[in-house]
Amino acid sequence: MMLSKRIVKETQRLMSEPVPGISASPLNDNLRYFNVAISGPVESPFEGGVFHLELFLTDDYPMAAPKVRFLTKIYHPNIDKLGRICLDILKDKWSPALQIRTVLLSIQALLSAPNPDDPLANDVAEHWKSNEKDAIATARDWTKRYANTQ
Amino acid sequence: MSQVPRNFRLLEELEKGEKGLNGDGNVSYGLESPDDTYLSSWIGTIIGPGNDYPSKPPAVKFTSKINMGCVSGTGAIETKSFPLLKDWNPKTTIETILIELRREMGSSANKKLVQPPEGSNY
Repeated sequence: MMLSKRIVKETQRLMSEPVPGISASPLNDNLRYFNVAISGPVESPFEGGVFHLELFLTDDYPMAAPKVRFLTKIYHPNIDKLGRICLDILKDKWSPALQIRTVLLSIQALLSAPNPDDPLANDVAEHWKSNEKDAIATARDWTKRYANTQ
Repeated sequence: MSQVPRNFRLLEELEKGEKGLNGDGNVSYGLESPDDTYLSSWIGTIIGPGNDYPSKPPAVKFTSKINMGCVSGTGAIETKSFPLLKDWNPKTTIETILIELRREMGSSANKKLVQPPEGSNY
């Protein structure tokens, strides 16, 4: 299937003007399928880690949101054990005016601002609500263990 | 149609399995381990009617570890302590059994019990 002009444009811009802390590049054999890496935001428990994700633009894109999930394990109340992300713009708040770039920025922002009141990983959210300090320590530990590039 | 990458295709199948949307209530499937990021190991279950069923009750067993009154140390439901199986009526269905078990899990006596860690199996 032909890539839409829009996807081609978005891809070119992602490569030529990358968002700080985010890289996204399509696979050679499927230009709708992207390898993504997001650096853990400064002053978040994910600082110092690099998190890998996969992103796929379905045939319905941009009428439907991209599919995206974490491949690197992460301790976060809105991300489940399989890396699936609970984020409104990926579900009912999607708008065709949004782009791959804005989606990735929102995911980066979600790392800075975990929202345990709208959880996907219930045990993590409970931990976050009952003892935030301890939950953040676990998140730091997981970042070191699974997202450390060294 | 563009080709859906393996992982996203499997995630779709998993979601269908998790929601029980597979149309045929006699099979179910899911990941062997809930944190299998690469979705490699799956378990499928076929509900095969036993020879005596429905004139005799089926054997029911938890595979996930659970701490609950009518469940033995191996995960099996003890027929004598679960009235639906003890006073078996051939009209009772697997669905009824599962619904009743779920209700039992939420009973005041069972709700208080400490549960084994999520993901542990017999």
